Amino acid sequence: MSWGISAIAQSGFPDPMHALTLAHYLLVSALMFVIGLIGFMTRRNLIIMFLCTELMFQAAGIAMVAFGRYHLDFTGQTFVIFVLTVAAAEAAMGLALVVLLFRRKESLDAEAWQDMKG
Amino acid sequence: MVGFAADRPWGQGQLDQVIHPILFYTLCVLGGAGVWLALPRRRLTPQVAGALVAALASGLTLMFMGKNALEHLPNIYFYVFSFIALGAALRVITHPRPVYAALYFILTVVSTGGLFLVLSAEFMAFALIIVYAGAILITYLFVIMLATQAPEEGEIEVLTEYDTQAREPLAACVVGFLLLAVVTTMVFRGVPSLAVPLPVQPDALLVDMPRKVENVLRTNGLLQEGEVVLTDRTSGKPAIDVETGTILVGVVGEGEPRLITRGQWPEELHISNPENVGFNLLRDHPGTIEIAGVILLMAMLGAVVLSRKQVQLDEEAKQRHASKLAESTGVNVGGLQSPLTTGPHGAGGSGGGGSA
Repeated sequence: MSWGISAIAQSGFPDPMHALTLAHYLLVSALMFVIGLIGFMTRRNLIIMFLCTELMFQAAGIAMVAFGRYHLDFTGQTFVIFVLTVAAAEAAMGLALVVLLFRRKESLDAEAWQDMKG
Repeated sequence: MVGFAADRPWGQGQLDQVIHPILFYTLCVLGGAGVWLALPRRRLTPQVAGALVAALASGLTLMFMGKNALEHLPNIYFYVFSFIALGAALRVITHPRPVYAALYFILTVVSTGGLFLVLSAEFMAFALIIVYAGAILITYLFVIMLATQAPEEGEIEVLTEYDTQAREPLAACVVGFLLLAVVTTMVFRGVPSLAVPLPVQPDALLVDMPRKVENVLRTNGLLQEGEVVLTDRTSGKPAIDVETGTILVGVVGEGEPRLITRGQWPEELHISNPENVGFNLLRDHPGTIEIAGVILLMAMLGAVVLSRKQVQLDEEAKQRHASKLAESTGVNVGGLQSPLTTGPHGAGGSGGGGSA
């Protein structure tokens, strides 16, 4: 247990993390993922739905960095870079599509497009 | 860690090493109910109370988890940052105004960056804030502002119906928190039996960075004129032994080489987090960065192609425009404020009516 300010930013890996500490981070990650999921399912605004997918990306990132910290390995952090890239690409494409959809219907409502249901 | 979960079979009872199962599932239900209450609804609902219930549930979960792990509590900043991150995340999905939702998302990103700092991932923390809060979220804000109709003069801004009303909130909360319960059960059962990682040599990469070592030694006055870090003749690598903490330096080809032992190493002779991540990214996963580049390029091309496309308003929206126009010209006879001009592509509608 380290409560001091000096513990917040230590370069490298100071000491191994206990599995129960890891569990805390994984719980936060799971909670954030579920909040994003619920948002994606309940919100009807297309932009907010995209924002909720970004929330889920964040949650995945926390889990990866926490696991990397536990295993004293940097691959977790490396793959967060990859997630960041995918999120950026997704935002660019998704938002371009949203703008197109908005121009057509003048509405961001996801249900305005329900006639596309097969 | 002695006897910690290793001798217990997979199954009932492993979860209570992290948190008591019944307690945990009760808190899951409570959290789900809280989020359900907090979601925007047509009727006025106790949104604040819902958020408080959800916060209480997650706080209690963390507290009871901590009770079983008093020796291994995370840093106090973990609690601070995760509280802010989760609270802002809840606000993202409950706020009826998209702009505010995006701003709350920035708060989530910043506190996630804080969590990364606590996990001693400094590079990722700042990269996250720069890329997410600085670039992606700005794109979102631009699009939100592009795709929202400004209220006309003298008109109070009305929140659109699709922002104030959640779709199937109960089903979503049930499914979401069921998923949470299942996933965390699996995680909490597995986590205590995770292999304990072997301690690693934090400065192992110094062998690959003789220039950095030389620079640090030189600025600290440990290297004389002309001296360099020598190369090990048998392995062909720089003679830096991180295990024993010795660095062999000398003038190439002349004189006796001398040793710099760990006791003499200056403070800053360490591998920093960005260096570690950089080596991991470019040496161990070079394919990843290539793929990332291709993905970004394709996304850029795709976005350019998509946004060049001409789009016509569809029939429904045209009708809406026409009726709105008729309404507004009926009310203010001059017809000075044509609602047609507010839309980004209003000319695609039944244009020209306002100029009559």
